[in-house]
Amino acid sequence: MTHVLGQFSIMLALALAAAGSLAAVTSIVTAQPAWVRSARNAIYLVFVLLTMAMGALEYAFLSHDYGLKYVADNSNNTLPGFYLATALWGGHEGSFLLWAWLLALYSAVAARLHWRTHPQAMPYLLAISSALLLGFLCLIVFLADPFEAAKIRAADGAGLNPLLQDPGMVFHPPFLYMGYVGFSIPFAFAMAALLRGKVNEEWIRATRRWTLFAWLMLTFGIVLGGYWAYYELGWGGYWAWDPVENASFMPWLVGTAFLHSVMVQETRRMFKIWNVFLIIATFSLTLLGAFLVRSGVVSSVHSFASDPGRGVFILSFMTIVLVFSFGTLVLRGDRLKSEVEIDSMVSRESAFLFNNLFFLVAMATVFVGTLYPLMLEAFTGSKVTVGAPYYNAVFLPIMLAMVVLMGIGPLLPWRKASPEVLARNTLLPAALAVLGTLATIAAGVHEIYPLFGLAVVYFVFGTILRDFHTGARGSQRREGLSYFSALLNAITRNKRRYGGLIVHFGVLMMIVGLIGSSVFRIEKDVVLKPGDSFALGSYEVQLKGVTEVSGPNYSGMAAILDVLQAGKQVVELRPEKRNYTTSSMPTTEAAINENWLRDIYLVLDKPTGDGLIIKGYLNPLVKWIWSGVMVIGLGTALSLWQRRRLMKEQA
Amino acid sequence: MKTKRKWGIAGSVAVILALAGWLGYSSFQDALVYFYTPSEVVKLDDKFTGKRIRVGGIVEKGSMVMTAGTMKIDFRLSDGETVLPVAFEGVPPDLFKEGQGAVAEGFRDQNGNFHADLIMAKHSEDYMPIQMKREGKSMPKEDILKTLKK
Repeated sequence: MTHVLGQFSIMLALALAAAGSLAAVTSIVTAQPAWVRSARNAIYLVFVLLTMAMGALEYAFLSHDYGLKYVADNSNNTLPGFYLATALWGGHEGSFLLWAWLLALYSAVAARLHWRTHPQAMPYLLAISSALLLGFLCLIVFLADPFEAAKIRAADGAGLNPLLQDPGMVFHPPFLYMGYVGFSIPFAFAMAALLRGKVNEEWIRATRRWTLFAWLMLTFGIVLGGYWAYYELGWGGYWAWDPVENASFMPWLVGTAFLHSVMVQETRRMFKIWNVFLIIATFSLTLLGAFLVRSGVVSSVHSFASDPGRGVFILSFMTIVLVFSFGTLVLRGDRLKSEVEIDSMVSRESAFLFNNLFFLVAMATVFVGTLYPLMLEAFTGSKVTVGAPYYNAVFLPIMLAMVVLMGIGPLLPWRKASPEVLARNTLLPAALAVLGTLATIAAGVHEIYPLFGLAVVYFVFGTILRDFHTGARGSQRREGLSYFSALLNAITRNKRRYGGLIVHFGVLMMIVGLIGSSVFRIEKDVVLKPGDSFALGSYEVQLKGVTEVSGPNYSGMAAILDVLQAGKQVVELRPEKRNYTTSSMPTTEAAINENWLRDIYLVLDKPTGDGLIIKGYLNPLVKWIWSGVMVIGLGTALSLWQRRRLMKEQA
Repeated sequence: MKTKRKWGIAGSVAVILALAGWLGYSSFQDALVYFYTPSEVVKLDDKFTGKRIRVGGIVEKGSMVMTAGTMKIDFRLSDGETVLPVAFEGVPPDLFKEGQGAVAEGFRDQNGNFHADLIMAKHSEDYMPIQMKREGKSMPKEDILKTLKK
């Protein structure tokens, strides 16, 4: 029954998306408002139908309806309720449905929000949204139907991959998709502006909050992926330059460049073509991400059984989007000449220019590293992987330069900065950098790269503090408030600027974490018998014994390990090795003790002789990475909060 | 004045691009790790001695020898034609088993022995259509090797 309802919903949604695209195009050609309304209502209905489809699939999972192939392949009777409910996006078909549902949701919300404020752009927005929906629904209905009936109705399902049974992995895909899909709205607005030949600042003002929201969701999605890898995969790391990680990182890099460069167009009416180019590139890279992950061309934990048909479809879809959008850009680009030029090398706009340059170089680096193996294999048949040394060699200097720019950029005025003022404003932060670096050397850090990185971090931290202080001081003078309420006053007055600075602060925290956990990481593999111990940094880890463990759908064993420092117990950790009942594949459950300074990360491996193999990692400052992302979320939320009344577009 | 400024910006952009390109180019070749089958490894000439490569194959049944009390594991990788002995020291992944596919990363010494310090196991069952698994069929060897190359 459910699969009839589901299949009916997605097919009707497909027909409506096609009708909606036609209605929207007709409304552009005939300029009759009735057609615009039909196109809008079609999008609303597509959203309702896809919500029904999601509901049907969810119901099928919760009621163990193994008549559906997708349910039988991705769940089973013993799967705990939470993972049962979220197994909906545990495979390709459900992921595509979630993606299409989000696209319909965003399109419907955008149609409603901008209906009154952007009547001229609306037909174009609706046309682009319905065309994108049409593409995704074709993929779902013809190539990845989650409601496909099973050949034989099994008594029990195959179960969900144990590696995916983790909260980090449950929320990683939805956040990623909320980010990916979010960029389709600014993309649709940009294309609308381009097609109408009205590329003023309107589309940028209208989409500022869409872009910020999409960017934040994508950031959360990427970091959740790393978080999952760190806590679940048991190799002590969080990022491996895996092609699938890179697939989500590329749109993030260009999206971040876009986020910055729109500010130049808003204030200075420059970079017009460039901004359209960036949003097209960001959106295309989200499609490339879908292609890399969902077609199975790259190997990783994410891509299991693959279906070449889907890959070909997504690739063709991406080609159409690229040809259409870049074609329009080339044809209409001549209308986008900037009226003004950069006045000085030392100005806010040139800081943004270099910011964009660095982000795009970073993207190109990842792009080459990710696609080179695919190309090489396609043309020569040789199989190759690009290792971390390549990425590190390019990324470390670029990141350093970007962080410096992150400190100086916000200090620079538009148009032209006076070197004297700049020198005065950077004096205190520079002093802080020198003091901080000396303190770090005194604390025992002598390697040159991390010292350099930390010096830059201290400097930028100084500029951010100084900015908040100046704001508070100004507000204090004007209104005669106490320092603290003056600071709050300054922040609420300019949420966008201070929100941005808080995001920068979060980035600094992440960088501290990245430096600490990559440069000063200690890794040990040892064989222990009960009573044996080994040194891990300043800690001593002792094996006390082994015990059995069991859960709702697994059983296994745990090692009991005492972590001691200077003879005193710090904590007892119990890393586990689990065997899930439905899978022949054992999984590793790392035991982690964390604080602001370091994570003690222990992994149990199999016995050898009468001993146990234990892997121990001492990962400094990892908590700073996860906390930094929370701060980034806070800052973005503050920035999103500043609402500018959506101004009516000029006719 | 105006042209001078333009050249200043264009010049800095060019310098940054050139630097980034050089960094990428110079580190690229060394960061590449090629994948071979055991038959290809034995045919490699001497200039590959000591260079990091990956070898993929099926872990031969009965070939795994663990030295008790250490982390040393010796085993043989096979592609059906050639059998390559591998000396591994470290912690293999959960899926590493005899009769399963595995990829070993390491280098070949002058005597042609392969030393691995990293093993990636491929769970061949996950790579075959689930219907086949349900019907209890096993995957043909060529297909396992194909999935290893992925």
